[in-house]
Amino acid sequence: MGIMLQYLFKRLWHTVFVLIGISMISFFFIHLSGDPVMLMLPGDASTQEIETLREQLGFNDPLYAQYLRFAGNAAQGEFGNSLYYKVPAMALILERLPASLELAAAAMLIALVVAVPIGIVSAVRRGSMVDMGSMLGALFGLSMPHFWLGIMMIMLFSVKLGWLPTSGRGSLAQLVMPSLALGMSLMAMFARLTRSVMLEVLSLDYIRTARSKGLKESVVIYKHALKNAMIPLVTVAGMQFGFLLGGTVIIETVFAWPGVGRLVVQAIFNRDYPLVQATVLVLSVIFVAVNFLVDMLYMYLDPQISYFEDK
Amino acid sequence: MKRWSLLSLVALMAIALAVSPPPATAKDTLVVMQEAEPVGLDLMQSSIQTTMSVCYNIHDTLFHPQEDATVLPALAEKWEKIDDLTWKITLRKDAIFHNGEPVNAAAVKFSYDRINSEDLKSPNKGKLSAFTDLNVIDDHTFTIKTKEPYAPGLYMLGYYLPIVPPKYIQEVGNEKYNTDPVGSGPYRLKKWARGDEIVLEAFDKYYGPKPAYKTVIFKANPEESSRIAAMLTGEADVISGVPVLQRKRLEDSGKAYLTPQMGVMPYMGINTYEAPFNDVRVRQALNYAIDKELINKALFDGKAIICAGPISPRTFGHSPTLKPYPYDPAKARKLLKAAGHPDGIEARLAYPTYMAQIQEQAEAIAANMTKAGFKVTLEPFERAVMWERYKGKKHQLYIYWWDDAPEPDRYMYSLFNSTSRDYYYKNTAVDELLDKGRTVMDRAERAKVYAQIDEMLYQDAPWAFLYVVPEVFGVANDVDYQGRRDGFLNMRYAKPKM
Repeated sequence: MGIMLQYLFKRLWHTVFVLIGISMISFFFIHLSGDPVMLMLPGDASTQEIETLREQLGFNDPLYAQYLRFAGNAAQGEFGNSLYYKVPAMALILERLPASLELAAAAMLIALVVAVPIGIVSAVRRGSMVDMGSMLGALFGLSMPHFWLGIMMIMLFSVKLGWLPTSGRGSLAQLVMPSLALGMSLMAMFARLTRSVMLEVLSLDYIRTARSKGLKESVVIYKHALKNAMIPLVTVAGMQFGFLLGGTVIIETVFAWPGVGRLVVQAIFNRDYPLVQATVLVLSVIFVAVNFLVDMLYMYLDPQISYFEDK
Repeated sequence: MKRWSLLSLVALMAIALAVSPPPATAKDTLVVMQEAEPVGLDLMQSSIQTTMSVCYNIHDTLFHPQEDATVLPALAEKWEKIDDLTWKITLRKDAIFHNGEPVNAAAVKFSYDRINSEDLKSPNKGKLSAFTDLNVIDDHTFTIKTKEPYAPGLYMLGYYLPIVPPKYIQEVGNEKYNTDPVGSGPYRLKKWARGDEIVLEAFDKYYGPKPAYKTVIFKANPEESSRIAAMLTGEADVISGVPVLQRKRLEDSGKAYLTPQMGVMPYMGINTYEAPFNDVRVRQALNYAIDKELINKALFDGKAIICAGPISPRTFGHSPTLKPYPYDPAKARKLLKAAGHPDGIEARLAYPTYMAQIQEQAEAIAANMTKAGFKVTLEPFERAVMWERYKGKKHQLYIYWWDDAPEPDRYMYSLFNSTSRDYYYKNTAVDELLDKGRTVMDRAERAKVYAQIDEMLYQDAPWAFLYVVPEVFGVANDVDYQGRRDGFLNMRYAKPKM
């Protein structure tokens, strides 16, 4: 366990550098991309007013000084008020984060539950009608734009059939369409991935050995092959989950889902520096944490993988 | 294999069971769906349309501004002019705030001082800059003074000076007031679930007519197709932001109707300080170059109103005699030749990418201009960049817009008086007339001043004048609601259709 802790600390240490790097990049990019003061004041504001506000907000200091101040505050968990909403930026994000987590988790669940069995069947019955049919379906799933799919679902399930509410969050019914629309392309990706990985694993020597030992085919597939095939799947799923938290702007827009993605995009348009920086940092932390968990899962899935040199 | 299938089957069944038809809203509840959620609920702290819309349900002002730029009483019961610079205003005695504080002259004074205070940084402060002084006479009477005679005074107070409760604000501060406001309007804030909905409930001690709906829920949905779908399913009773090309669909559905509201007035601004556009002939050539009728038919289903000069044809004070520049590319070429550009002119045309249908408009205009001898480079800019370049005087030609507000001073002064925005155009005669327009108290005389400004600017062509695109609200058939020119969704005026 000591080695494990050591590894954990090493990872944490790396994480700090990653976060500093990300905060710097996001800070400088957003600051160089335009001035929020111009957007905050009405068009006929005098130069005097503009200058006063710039001074008050500290935008007249050199950029590096502004960054140091930001980093110092951020280290204490203080990100300042959103320039636009005039409430603490972190509070805004924390309000939206559960919605994002919920949507990402639901989409991921739907995708995995449907895709993995399809991928396995396609691999086991390679070349069969089932295989071709499901891979064609997967191609469709990958090619359909989220935006279009979302609108079509609303048209069918809400307007035509009246089964589901068009938008918003709160009930389970409101979660169905956004998570399906989001899960659809993931589903396709996972099905294709599962199939190809399974095909590879099934051709390996140890599977042949298992079969020649006279094990039942189902044991060979689920116990021996699947566990190994899970590793790339877990990697991709982990990365995708991190991405889903902030990268679902389109789905959030179509279904008026109050997630983080829309918040940050709007914040970028408004040059709402504190909000953008806080969001980027929060999402990075989650992303890094998910990746860390994925690494831990590897060890469970495949004892041959180790991060400890002196094993 | 079986286990997996079973699992997915169970999951799908669970989802199917959990799914129920959309909840029908009760008849005393009205759901309004806008493009965006408010950024706050303090009317003094925001100048954003979707935010102000919600605010006007909660906050009351002294007057109700009307579409012809006159006012009706609200918190103010009567008013009189003591002299050209002073109004004496009497408040009604039965108005109270949602927390029980009285609406009195001290509250008006507090509100006036608050909007002018440095701390608040109100974006609407400038709109009241003509006022210099507010004096309390007694509990329900006060005087308000202006530097110069100021004709739009009461109208501006009617929009931009919400009366706020002194005691409550001193207790909670500006930041909290922005999320938990207390007003004196017909609705009080019941709940704000950020990102989801704002629930307002009728205030039972409201002094004015009781609103017909007990509960009004404001929701936000940024995607236009989804808003329309919500209207068709009955999840929303009133929606804003109905794009021109989807209007027919909504009308044909048999479930909703459209009601006109504010208009958007796009225009092509010209940098008149730099060659070649410092020559009036070149600017007039631009006006002849654009086929506004065709653009109207192709992009706005013929619903736009073609502008002659800078004052919207729907606005008080526009010149009734002006005819829009006709589309005449030959004449444009002739003018360019006369101005010394027989081979045409190269021009940059900037536009903000976030404006509705802007790409199509910019491309159509550029194509028109090409026929008249201009070689156009389109410059699409993201919102903040566009604005910064605009203020930095970096545009040569640019498309921007204003709403066609009922009161001409509101936008004409901002855009054409060189003491306001001296970015691309300055004309001292226009400056003087705009100053005068504010001070003439007689309505008919005042209209003449603005007509004169309209005509002058028509000739001098600091813009290529385009059109007003009337915006509409979608309203469910069982709701009676007429949109208003200010574009605010003031639900005190909505009632069930009998």
